[in-house]
Amino acid sequence: MGKNQPGYFGEFGGRYAPEILTEALEELESTYQKLKKSKKFKKELDFYLQNYVGRPSPLTFAERLTKHWGGARIWLKREDLNHTGAHKINNAIGQALIAKFMGKKRIIAETGAGQHGLATATVGAMFGMETVVYMGAVDVQRQNLNAKKIEMLGAKILPVTAGEATLKEATSEAMRDWALNVSTTHYIVGSAIGPHPFPTIVRDLQSVIGKEARSQFKKQNHKLPHAIVACVGGGSNAIGMFHAFLKDKHVAIYGAEAGGLGPKPGEHSATLTYGKTGFLHGTKTLIIQDEGGQIVPAHSVSAGLDYPGVGPEHAFLSQTKRVDYRMVTDEQALDCFLEVSRIEGIIPALETAHAFHVARDVAKDLGKKKDLIICLSGRGDKDVTEVLRLLGERSK
Amino acid sequence: MSKIKDLFESGRIKSAFIPYFTLGDPNYNDSIEFGKTILDHGADILELGIPFSDPVADGPVIQRAVARSLKNQFSFDEIFRVTKEIHHHKKETPLVYLTYFNPIYHCGIHSFLDRAKEAGVVGLVIPDLPFDTKESETLFQELRKRDMDLIHLVTPASTKKRIEALKRTSTGFIYYVTSFGVTGERREFSVDLKERIRFLKDTIQLPICAGFGISTPEQASQISGYADGIIIGSAIQRIIEENGQDFPKAKQTLAEYIAKIRASIP
Repeated sequence: MGKNQPGYFGEFGGRYAPEILTEALEELESTYQKLKKSKKFKKELDFYLQNYVGRPSPLTFAERLTKHWGGARIWLKREDLNHTGAHKINNAIGQALIAKFMGKKRIIAETGAGQHGLATATVGAMFGMETVVYMGAVDVQRQNLNAKKIEMLGAKILPVTAGEATLKEATSEAMRDWALNVSTTHYIVGSAIGPHPFPTIVRDLQSVIGKEARSQFKKQNHKLPHAIVACVGGGSNAIGMFHAFLKDKHVAIYGAEAGGLGPKPGEHSATLTYGKTGFLHGTKTLIIQDEGGQIVPAHSVSAGLDYPGVGPEHAFLSQTKRVDYRMVTDEQALDCFLEVSRIEGIIPALETAHAFHVARDVAKDLGKKKDLIICLSGRGDKDVTEVLRLLGERSK
Repeated sequence: MSKIKDLFESGRIKSAFIPYFTLGDPNYNDSIEFGKTILDHGADILELGIPFSDPVADGPVIQRAVARSLKNQFSFDEIFRVTKEIHHHKKETPLVYLTYFNPIYHCGIHSFLDRAKEAGVVGLVIPDLPFDTKESETLFQELRKRDMDLIHLVTPASTKKRIEALKRTSTGFIYYVTSFGVTGERREFSVDLKERIRFLKDTIQLPICAGFGISTPEQASQISGYADGIIIGSAIQRIIEENGQDFPKAKQTLAEYIAKIRASIP
């Protein structure tokens, strides 16, 4: 596999997984290539997206936020209105259908904020598949509502206590499970990360977000927006939103990554700003690492962004400068979480609150009579307890 | 001729014993002593683990060993210093590094290989670097220039086509992963292990050494009957884990275990 072969985005991507997984990855790749061209698969996927997920998700004009920020017109792509409350279900449904087609009876997933775990548990219940979700023990605590929902849906949560006990460790443990059970199990990778073909499959399944947003905006406004913004952890909602706009050179694209508490290693998850090229969880990408090539624990107020790597396509888009990635601190995200809730009547996920912060700056820079779409990747119910705790700490 | 090739072709051993342990667990200086003990009691090749924060191919025992090691300040200077000391203790025993690709890449392939060779290392095992990547090709070429080996892993899931393809960039020996999953002690192995190893021997003109899951003298004796070598990691690491705080006891237990395994291999 060379860098100009499928699975690479410039120098990033590829397949750097233990040999035991190669056969399964090749099977997944060839199955996906077939299914991608299959009308039956497309029809089935569309059916579930419409009738189970609730697509298309609306593109909402945020009138109050537009007035409040006093710049460009703000539009929201409402992935928070999907079944299970986030964009993660788009990918989970698609990959569950692929798993079903491959005859796999068991699905596993890793999860940080719990939204991907919830989406996987949901499709596991719906398709009658045994489901196991790996979640860092720290995340089980801070995203307890989702952890409880996952169990209620009949899936098994396996808390991971190694290392920082967050998303990175949950991902490693899911890969180990897959290596042991590869013949019966499909690993539903939750973000645009992992060995080829996962970043491509996740991107394709999430690209419904950008395709819909582009056509909805065009239909309502007879033009394209001036800018789009999404938050980036692994980067699945962002790549899904960006993909349909990449060729529209006049549409400016912004990604918001977690600047956490500050620039010191261990205080942030700003991979695209501070990361160096490396190899993690099966892919070549930008990674936060120390001088010995050891992965540095990431931090973010948002469990969903708390990952020291990033999808390889984002690493490429950052390198080519097609996308402008900016850092947002925990405090800035928290402020935007509250601001958007009060002004627009929508409680966004803490992940999305990062995108709102970047969008506010971009909206001001663009000025009036310009248009900006924010991918509202998910709703913030899951974050309410954590936000209250943080506000309590802030007031001390 | 590479040192590993020389060992297998010399006729000195029928089947090789290849122990593994993680450098820096519980500290770098103890690692030197553990390495010397293992060499003194019967290793034919010694695999030294360079810790990596995210060892996805390893089970709980080695994961914990890596975590303990990384509590010490990780540095390549320390890794090479310790390796050199172990090498000087018994220069005729080939040393091999097992690590993940990110630390090597981060160190810089050329610099890493030059320093590893200087420290006495003659081969590399990298569980997350498949042979059909650009980086593996580069590494293979650079290792050849230094008369060092790139040891590939083959698993029960590897197809015939893949096995044929990896022959081109494989030297030293083949690390045959005996079972699905990650490293760790197991009670049973797949029923077709013997046939699979025989098939590999016929296909690849290299010694086939089996690892992942072997821990007892009985297993070592049985598998070495048809494999060119056996690799044991987790069982050794468990001895260090259980006795690491009592250094003399750890050394003693390690010595007894290594001797017992060596005696069980023809």
